[in-house]
Amino acid sequence: MSTEKKSFSRRKFLQRGAIVLGGSVVASYLGCSPMRRFTAQKVESMDLPASISSLKPDFWFEILADNTILLKSPKIEMGQGVWTGLAMMAAEELEVSLDKIKVEHANTGSGLIDNVNTGGSSSTSSLYEPVREVAATMREMLKAAAAKQWNVAISTIKTENGILSSGGKKATYGEIAASTKEWDEPKTPTLKPKSAFKIIGKEVKRVDLKPKVMGTAKYTLDSELPDMLYAVLVKSPYLDATIKSVDSKEAAKFSGVVKIVREGNLLAVVAKSFYAADSASKKVIVEWNTPNKTQQADLIKLVTVGNGKEANIQKKGSAKSIIEDNKTEVFRQEYRTPMATHAQMEVNGAIAHVEANKVLIITGSQGPSQVRDLVSKAIDIKKDKIDVYTPLLGGGFGRKAAPGLAAEAAIISKLVGKPIKVYNSRQHEFQNGVYRPNTHHVLQAKMTKDGTIEAITHDQATPDMYVRNMVGEIGLKLLGSDFLSAGHGASLMYNVPNKSVSVWNTDVPIPISIWRAVGMFPNTFAIESFINELAHKVGKDAIDFRLDMLTDKEDKIIERSRKVLETLIEKSGWKTPKAEGVGRGIAIGNDRKSIAAAAIEVEIIEGKIKVKKVTNVLDMGQIINPEGIKAQIEGCVMMGISATLYEELTVKDGQIEQAYFSQYPLATLADVPEILSFLLEGDDVPYGVGEPPLSPIAPAIVGAVLDLTGKALRSLPLRLS
Amino acid sequence: MKIDFKLNGKPTSIDVDPAMPLLWVVRDELKLTATKFGCGMAMCGACTLHIDGEAVRSCSVPVETIAGKNILTLEGLSESEANLHPIQQAWMEEQVPQCGYCQSGFMMAAAKLIKENPNPTDDDIKNGITNICRCGTHPRIIKAIKRAAEINNQNH
Repeated sequence: MSTEKKSFSRRKFLQRGAIVLGGSVVASYLGCSPMRRFTAQKVESMDLPASISSLKPDFWFEILADNTILLKSPKIEMGQGVWTGLAMMAAEELEVSLDKIKVEHANTGSGLIDNVNTGGSSSTSSLYEPVREVAATMREMLKAAAAKQWNVAISTIKTENGILSSGGKKATYGEIAASTKEWDEPKTPTLKPKSAFKIIGKEVKRVDLKPKVMGTAKYTLDSELPDMLYAVLVKSPYLDATIKSVDSKEAAKFSGVVKIVREGNLLAVVAKSFYAADSASKKVIVEWNTPNKTQQADLIKLVTVGNGKEANIQKKGSAKSIIEDNKTEVFRQEYRTPMATHAQMEVNGAIAHVEANKVLIITGSQGPSQVRDLVSKAIDIKKDKIDVYTPLLGGGFGRKAAPGLAAEAAIISKLVGKPIKVYNSRQHEFQNGVYRPNTHHVLQAKMTKDGTIEAITHDQATPDMYVRNMVGEIGLKLLGSDFLSAGHGASLMYNVPNKSVSVWNTDVPIPISIWRAVGMFPNTFAIESFINELAHKVGKDAIDFRLDMLTDKEDKIIERSRKVLETLIEKSGWKTPKAEGVGRGIAIGNDRKSIAAAAIEVEIIEGKIKVKKVTNVLDMGQIINPEGIKAQIEGCVMMGISATLYEELTVKDGQIEQAYFSQYPLATLADVPEILSFLLEGDDVPYGVGEPPLSPIAPAIVGAVLDLTGKALRSLPLRLS
Repeated sequence: MKIDFKLNGKPTSIDVDPAMPLLWVVRDELKLTATKFGCGMAMCGACTLHIDGEAVRSCSVPVETIAGKNILTLEGLSESEANLHPIQQAWMEEQVPQCGYCQSGFMMAAAKLIKENPNPTDDDIKNGITNICRCGTHPRIIKAIKRAAEINNQNH
């Protein structure tokens, strides 16, 4: 891709004592043919919805008077380090040190919002060129302005650490910005070659580190508005419950209670403090209609291969008929993953101030523009009257890509006429949330006499996780299934002569959503566990077995996958003798061009699986922030161990049975294994980092247990007996 | 009910419902927001602060029980930004936080741990702190606590 070919056709530079590069600059080339992008990406790479939106990412920079640069991030910082990555990319082309860049979230009212949710591990990769290009343009504009002021040739101007110089003349970016009235439009600058990088790929401290260590970082729950009241929602622990009757007499007497409001099934206690609202909410007596009677067995039955609608998403050769014709020889196994919740540490919350002609929202969401749209519908006010501000997120993992409480806050604020802060209890998070759906997988293989795969099929049953939100009911019907999110990772990467993959789409009476790594998590668990079982069955080394099926030298992904596995053999000591009582397993996943593999060693201690050591190799293309990537890998290892060994949500009589952390244990410090992480740069553009390392963890643990005990576990969370 | 106590060394007086959990007194009444709400049931540790030197989950402590006591929150852990507590220094060095939400609770629990045990092993740390983190910063928390103990021992 040549950067020279692109041009900024709709430049619009404003000057108000500062340079503001409007979002239109970027939008002009990213958004030129949204439909083509939409279709092309969908078909070619089966990307996640997050990156196939037809709408444009926008952002802006400002040079402030103190010679710092403000980057209003279009992407949401939820811990994954996106602020740092974007700041590094900007600093690189601007020729400033990283500490000169301040980052905050863009607010929707600025008109420069990102209509795409932050997710799908796509933020850094999708903005790699645009951010650098805008930053480079800005640098060239400053050089041109300085050249004019000093009456020297542009070519004599040097930029270093926020200072422009030529001969004996010197000025800061801030000084030039403040003294320039008219700006010349530079040609599209050529971006720095990789060999010239001073910041990208180097060790830095994350830009939000200090406030998070000092306790000054502000999240939604820490935000306030003058004269604000607190609201606590009264919710039923049953799904889809509606209000039959309310008795709030006792609750209204509690000191500090201002009002008890109800609109439809929204019932809230409004008080002067959270404590008063929370205490009084427990005194509200509600009779509920509970139409949802779902049982766990219903859910398992619904989500079963053969039920629902089949969409074939991968076909090579005649796998289905080979499997059909050789039934007695076919190796067939079934796998299941459970329903799960995000359990992000910060509960959902929002502040709303609804006035006659404007609405202010403060809420931690992965999609501020969707928050705006929801609020617009909820209180029937035009979108352009709504301004959504996003504080830092106390974790996302997909939960905050789904609706939070902004609409509820707005409805209550409108009813009460004051700013309202509302947030969930932990019980609300567990029982009134949106969930990763359970999945079912059937894998079948016909092996050749020499122990290679002749034909393989994968059938996955799942409800749609997200795509309905993107394309609606009709779109979902046209697509046939949610192969974009739920079916993500369902395809088989290995070079075998015959393969076939189908996604069976079915509706469940449970609110569902995406969860970190989306479809990659259940699909990689099933496929890679099956591959490990096949290798075990034919008596081959699990990595060699895979390398024998990664043979297409023309395919860059395959070649990079080989390199990842070869590196893993070396770095994990895969071929060295094991200690007694230790089992080893591996798994690999190709997640939107990032390739992640893990080799895991387990022990069984007092009847429990203990993960001892995890060696990760990740090829995510161009490295932006190496330490940030390692932090994401470690996070994926811990979340992977947690989801593999502990996490499971179940439903009974239409109620999620787990309401507290004690009923939904997560991995803790006690579960920390030795973790080694190695990064490969198999390409010179960056790919995703936040999710890809997660999906190999579960199947690698399962493979290690198989290696140690000979027993294949096929259902998460893992239970030895 | 009027209750007097010390908050980060400063004499403090408030007049609230005696049953109000200390967490909400600190956050909503006294506007110190480093201490976080995570579960309200003392299960996650996000609200950990010190009462008379003990690490306590403040969401489940009625404010009436703290009269006359010394409360320390993360805001009061370091003397100044220039002179950080070893825990915060190590948290910076190891770049522990991701989303950051649970970190003040972890830092307060960790500060107590190294005070009691100046040379903690991995197992001491794993068994000593049961706070929850969802981003998976656990490996760095263990490293940082050991590093903080080192800094602490050098300082003394």
